This record gives sequence, structure tokens and C-alpha cells, in this order.
Amino acid sequence: MAASDVGKRSISNRQRLVWIGQTFVLLALTWLALNGLDGWWLGLLAASIGSVAGGLLASGQPHPWRPHRLLGFAGFFLVESFKGGVDVAWRALRLDLPINPEFHRYRIDLPEGQPRTLMISVISLLPGTLSADLSDDGEELVVHTLMPGAMASVERLDARIRRLFSLDSPEANNE
Amino acid sequence: MSAQEWVALVFLIAGCFFYLAGTIGLLRFGDVHSRLHALTKADNLGLMLVCASLAVLAANWRITALLVLTWLLGLLAATVSAHLIARHARRVEK
Repeated sequence: MAASDVGKRSISNRQRLVWIGQTFVLLALTWLALNGLDGWWLGLLAASIGSVAGGLLASGQPHPWRPHRLLGFAGFFLVESFKGGVDVAWRALRLDLPINPEFHRYRIDLPEGQPRTLMISVISLLPGTLSADLSDDGEELVVHTLMPGAMASVERLDARIRRLFSLDSPEANNE
Repeated sequence: MSAQEWVALVFLIAGCFFYLAGTIGLLRFGDVHSRLHALTKADNLGLMLVCASLAVLAANWRITALLVLTWLLGLLAATVSAHLIARHARRVEK
């Protein structure tokens, strides 16, 4: 086995541990919100089992996120979903119904696992875009848009997700 | 009515407005995919505003956290079901 393989594996194990830690914190906070401090030890136990099981059983490579960038992503998401709701409400209420539906293909460069899943889920909540289909190899996304120019927000989302998960910047993309 | 209740009322009315607009979009848009846009995005915003209204009224961090959780679960359900319906509709059309 080459030395670089060993190095890669230890990085991936460290990532897995970080991911388990982050999931543990989220699960423990969810318990705290649902149940307060009653039975906190049971909550800690459940959060530990849940995060370790997730870390070991989840398919693909776990991608830890940057906690300080999650806030920025949440802000981006709030603003965009607000714009998306206002935009579609305005279009639904206008008498001339200004919609111009189209399908676009978008090549996903994000790695499999959370980054890709997050991308496909959030696209439907951005202004004017809806993730309509995924090719069988999972590499190409079909996006339904309500008006011309809506695809620009998909590219901004791509960049946001890369920042959240500290991934490399995108290469050639898109059609 | 206190200022707090007024703020909550404004959020609540705004939330209902977006639910109504989403439903009007569902009825007026011509095809399955466009209708899904109206449902997911307008209802997401409607739910967010209704939750914000309840959080203002409750003025309690734990209830606010639960409302955020409720909103996120609603979002997850909306986006996953929209994707599944859109995919099915597209594959049937082909």
C-alpha cells in the first residue's frame, strides 16, 4: 500500500470523527429542545448511539461542515427562501401569470453524500428553481425553472455549499 | 393589545397570505412542475411566518427551538415530496 493511501485514510477517519461529533451536538440539542433537562443522561446516550451509528453506517464519505460558516449558510437560505416565496406568490397573483417554464440540465460537481443531498434539496426552495430529476449515475440534475435566469441562483448555491463544507472551487460547469 | 401581540398578528396574517397565494398558484399554473413551485416555496414561507408569529407570542427559547425544528421538518417534507412528484411526472411524460 502506498504511503499516500495511508495518509488519505487517516484524513478520512479524522473527518468521520469530526462528523460524528457534530452530529452528536445536533442530536443532543434536539433532545434538549424536545425534552429539556429531564432525563438528560438518556438523551446523551441516544445522541451518542445515533451519531456513532450514523457515522459508521452512512454511505459515502462523511463531510464535516464548518460551524462558523453554517450561520452564513442559514442566512443565505433564509433570504433566498423569502425571495422564492415572494416571487412565486407575486407570479401566482398577477393577472397575466408571468411564468415561462423550462427544463435545464445541471452537472453536479459536488461530492456524493451531504453536499450533493443538500444541493438537491435546497434547489427546490430557491426562487424559480425546482429539482425535477436526477440521472441514474447521480451526476446530472434536471432543474425546472419558472422564469429565464433562475439558474444563476443554483450556481450561487453551489458556491455556498462548497464554502460550508470547505470543498475545492468548481471547475468547468453547466450548460 | 400589546406590541408583542401586534407583531405576532402581522406575522400570522402574512403567513396566511402566502399559504393563500401558494394555493392560488396551485390552481392557476398550468402544469405539474410549475404547480410544485407554488406549493413548495409559498408554503415554506407561510409556515416560516406562522412559526415566527407563534415564537413571538411564546417568548420562550425552548418553544422557539421546537418551532424552528417544526419548520425544518416541514421544509424537508416539502422538498423531498416535491422532488419525488416532479420526477414521477417527468418520467411519465416521456
